Amino acid sequence: MATVVTVTSGKGGVGKTTSSAAIAAGLAQAGHRTVVIDFDVGLRNLDLIMGVERRVVFDFVSVISGEATLNQALIQDKRLENLSILAASQTKDKDALTEAGVGQILDELAELGFEYIVCDSPAGIERGATMALHFADHAVIVTNPEVSSVRDSDRILGILQSKSKRAKEGGKVHEHLLITRYDPVRVENGEMLSKEDVCDILAVKLIGVIPESKAVLRASNTGVPVILDKDSDAGLAYSDSVARFLGEDRPMQFVIPRKQGLLSRILGGGD
Amino acid sequence: MVKVPRIRANRYSLMTLEWPRESEPLAHWLKAQREKAPLLMDEIAIVLKPAPEHQPEEIRSAVEALDRLDIGLMGLTGSSQHRVVAHDLGLAWLSSNHGWIESQLSHETVASQSLETALIMEGPIRSGVQIYAKDRDLIVIGQVSQGAEIMADGHVHVYGRCRGRVAAGVGGQVSAEIFCLTFEPELVSLAGTYCGSDQIPEELWSARVRVGLDETSQKLTFGLMG
Ligand SMILES: Nc1ncnc2c1ncn2[C@@H]1O[C@H](COP(=O)(O)OP(=O)(O)OP(=O)(O)O)[C@@H](O)[C@H]1O
Ligand SMILES: [Mg+2]
Repeated sequence: MATVVTVTSGKGGVGKTTSSAAIAAGLAQAGHRTVVIDFDVGLRNLDLIMGVERRVVFDFVSVISGEATLNQALIQDKRLENLSILAASQTKDKDALTEAGVGQILDELAELGFEYIVCDSPAGIERGATMALHFADHAVIVTNPEVSSVRDSDRILGILQSKSKRAKEGGKVHEHLLITRYDPVRVENGEMLSKEDVCDILAVKLIGVIPESKAVLRASNTGVPVILDKDSDAGLAYSDSVARFLGEDRPMQFVIPRKQGLLSRILGGGD
Repeated sequence: MVKVPRIRANRYSLMTLEWPRESEPLAHWLKAQREKAPLLMDEIAIVLKPAPEHQPEEIRSAVEALDRLDIGLMGLTGSSQHRVVAHDLGLAWLSSNHGWIESQLSHETVASQSLETALIMEGPIRSGVQIYAKDRDLIVIGQVSQGAEIMADGHVHVYGRCRGRVAAGVGGQVSAEIFCLTFEPELVSLAGTYCGSDQIPEELWSARVRVGLDETSQKLTFGLMG
């Protein structure tokens, strides 16, 4: 049985795709056969962040519509043998994502022996997002520490617990909170919500806090999931988050301002 | 077995919209209310009570405004000279001391309502989620998020942090109350009388609070629970 992990947020641009790539790579590194699917039909982003954009021939929608087989569309990651990518199409219509079609592909992926299916959800509550939510066993709610993002996450949690397949069958989707773009200095200055504030509002178990980091942009420019950058704060924070997702207990890093934080900010160093 | 139609007496909860002469335009006021508490005005049956000085033309345009806002108007009530207006507009006339239905039927056959226990919901009740316990109490175990709306015809109990919109006595039950373990609501309403978070006494914020309705002053009363 494969476990479907949907990465979602409601609000756009909070770090879902960055997190999907990192979580999928982290699960693969931990020895689990993992596939990451881009549900953002019409935009395409995940393939860039995974560094496979030149290798996309067939995509998720072409498999659903029967133009290609799943094996033709799956892209094997060159760094991690346990990791595959299923890209989204830039051109096709969102309506191609039917419940039956998506469900069948997830079943086939499970038959191929994947343990984890990570779904990168688009923003909003439209078709792509609801499809990604529908089949979720676990949901990673990505939130930035600001009010509108937190509110949208609360909204998505409501949809998850009423409209998902698990909810409709009387069960519950496992919820995990991932706070991204966290800046402890701005939190201290009262310009951002603290991780405690966010947890208090959402009442969901926190699996990680990813700091605002230049390493993220650097990673996406080079097409390497940031979790593979072991010298970066964001990479380490993602590694910790995946370990917590898998049940390990780890202390939170990068959640209090560094001593020399202010000076290094003025001098523009550090990341 | 042959079934025959029969007339039974029933009591219905109707909300009375009291409309003083010197008030702001009714349509305007209603729109503002609806923005504040969209759900409270849905599926509500209303009886309009104009002031004695209101002219038939004013009443006619108020009725049209209610219609445009999709508010279910059941009829008119108030001073007897408006009875003719009600008739002209094709509306029911409800004399003030008796409900319309009761005035036509005897009291003895009022059907006893069967007792339904409270609706129990597990929180968190998330933003965008609406819950309505019809003809019964509502109990929420856990939190109610900001942006969620919970309502009951009976009492509402929240065993957790209450940050959403809460309405008890939605069908006009003036004895309904609200009980919260951690009281931080956006809005509370009892039988249509409501107040926003800015009107809630500061010392009650985040406390264990009980909200009731004082019928004579038509004001909400707030009390701490032990
Ligand atoms: N921890 C971080 N530090 C700095 N920048 C970040 C961080 N996480 C994400 N970003 C940046 O934020 C932007 C949006 O990230 P990403 O594409 O992952 O978000 P998304 O939620 O998938 O967006 P969309 O809703 O459009 O799909 C990107 O430019 C990314 O580089
Ligand atoms: Mg994205």
